[in-house]
Amino acid sequence: MSEAAQSRILVVEDDLHLAEGMAENMRAEGYATDTAHDGQLGLEMALVGDYDLIVLDVMLPQMDGFEVCKALRAQGKSTPVLFLTARGDPQDRVRGLEAGGDDYLTKPFHLDEFLLRIRAILRRWEWFKSSLAKPATSATLTFAGNEANFRTFQAHAWDGTTHDLTEKEAMILKVLAEHPGEVVTRDDLLEKVWGYEVYPSTRTVDNFILRLRKIFERDPHEPRHFLTVRGVGYRFQPEGDA
Amino acid sequence: MINRLRLDPTRLLHMAIIFLQVFSVAQVVWWFVDQRTYADNNANEVRNLYTYDMVAAQKLSALGASAEEITAIFPHAQVVNGEVTLTEAALTDLDDAKTRHVNQYAWESGFFLLVQALAIMVLWRGLSSEKAIRKKQDNFMAMVSHQFKTPIASLQLSLETMVLRQVTPERFQQLSRRMLDDLRRMENMVSKILDSARLDRGRVQLNKERLSLAEAVRHVVATLEDIARRENVAFDVEIAPQLEVRADPLAVDGVLRNLIENAMSAMKPTGGGTVTIRGTRAGDEAELRIIDTGVGFEPADGPKLFEKFFRIDNHGGRDAAGTGLGLFIVQRFMHFENGHVKAHSEGAGKGATFTVAWPTAQET
Repeated sequence: MSEAAQSRILVVEDDLHLAEGMAENMRAEGYATDTAHDGQLGLEMALVGDYDLIVLDVMLPQMDGFEVCKALRAQGKSTPVLFLTARGDPQDRVRGLEAGGDDYLTKPFHLDEFLLRIRAILRRWEWFKSSLAKPATSATLTFAGNEANFRTFQAHAWDGTTHDLTEKEAMILKVLAEHPGEVVTRDDLLEKVWGYEVYPSTRTVDNFILRLRKIFERDPHEPRHFLTVRGVGYRFQPEGDA
Repeated sequence: MINRLRLDPTRLLHMAIIFLQVFSVAQVVWWFVDQRTYADNNANEVRNLYTYDMVAAQKLSALGASAEEITAIFPHAQVVNGEVTLTEAALTDLDDAKTRHVNQYAWESGFFLLVQALAIMVLWRGLSSEKAIRKKQDNFMAMVSHQFKTPIASLQLSLETMVLRQVTPERFQQLSRRMLDDLRRMENMVSKILDSARLDRGRVQLNKERLSLAEAVRHVVATLEDIARRENVAFDVEIAPQLEVRADPLAVDGVLRNLIENAMSAMKPTGGGTVTIRGTRAGDEAELRIIDTGVGFEPADGPKLFEKFFRIDNHGGRDAAGTGLGLFIVQRFMHFENGHVKAHSEGAGKGATFTVAWPTAQET
């Protein structure tokens, strides 16, 4: 676990026992950890520190977990977030993912599942970061007059407009761009971008594709670059479909 | 949740009865209007009959009947100079009879309407308060389960750590202590829930006796010292040594524990501090002030703090057991002890002072 040894994880949880318990176990796995016991401090630490993952409780003093995550995203921090909550409400799950969370775990949880989720998120993040670390060309994607930068999450569309991509949009675009002309299944996208079992349906991916089409396609209703492969997934055609 | 609220059979029954009541209100109104029309028609008919009577009487008079003979047959007729007319009294009697009839029904239907309106109001209020209670109960259930899940998650984590990892004897000790503490938290929460249910129904038996306030505070503080040290809380206690109250020892213990725990949890977000406790005599009362430097509250929220399930947002939802019941328990106990409690704060972030007062023990 050489890469894991370098991963830094911030735990934001107001229950001292739980926070300590989680931190101890993560240290035992070779991660470096910091803990914060309220939302405000958690946000400050997350903004300043360079973390690979934030484990964020939903019900926190000062500022709840959703707000912390939204504030982080608003300030351009795309550090992955694993939400922890005592409420099993599916509504909460959706709220967490909308706030920019990457995964969601309900208290009480099993230690091995907790560690598994952390590994999965770190692996996805690692993949995204390492693909950016390659020669500068791979940090930007140029096709049909469009340009997307995966470092700044900025896109310049063919019509001269500039768009801020969300972390998930950028990741989806990245996955598709790595397999030009090939079919990428919805499950592949889910696994690569969100991990398993996070979203209730693969339909979610479709909504992200719709948004990418709106930005990059000349006619979003007649897509030439982001093509649907009925019943399977998507195919990215940089040169446009003839 | 929402579905269950809508389809509840008792609720449906209540709503059906309200509907029937409204329907019967309409019926009573219709019935009254009908009676009025009936009385009008009746009076008109009698008036018509009188007119025919007068025509007949006039005929008799023309045939030579004397005035006495005519009035014997038609009591409501009068004969002046051979001219037969209806007496004033007959018309007045007719009007009076109509008015009496209408009035009688006006009072009766008025009374029915009043009863119906009251019934509708009572049922309606019952329905809405039932809704409010259900909402409170749902919130309570959500909160209690949340507050239980955290120590359960901590327990599970400690146990799984023991099972899945090689732990040293020291670590085993540490994890075991943590688990015992989690159990204590859950036990504390259960007793709070039971206490408040008991106090809510007024089912308390207090055995009042003479006891030293300083002694009672010392006892509670001693049991909280371990947690206080961990949470970076210090105590500064000064209580007049002769201060004695007449109260139930268990109730006093409950009041003090909840107030001190509340002060401690108010200082949790601010990283600890000092809980200052001062006991003085104020007239016939022994007054205890518990002052913290914690999160405080908006002055307007003061009285609401003692309501069941009330929680301040900036409190982060954490009284000691996190049930929103601690201060409610204090308020109920003080009510049964003939004492009182109030809360004061200059505002959010400015700490709080809770003042409790018991009747002092009579010098005998």
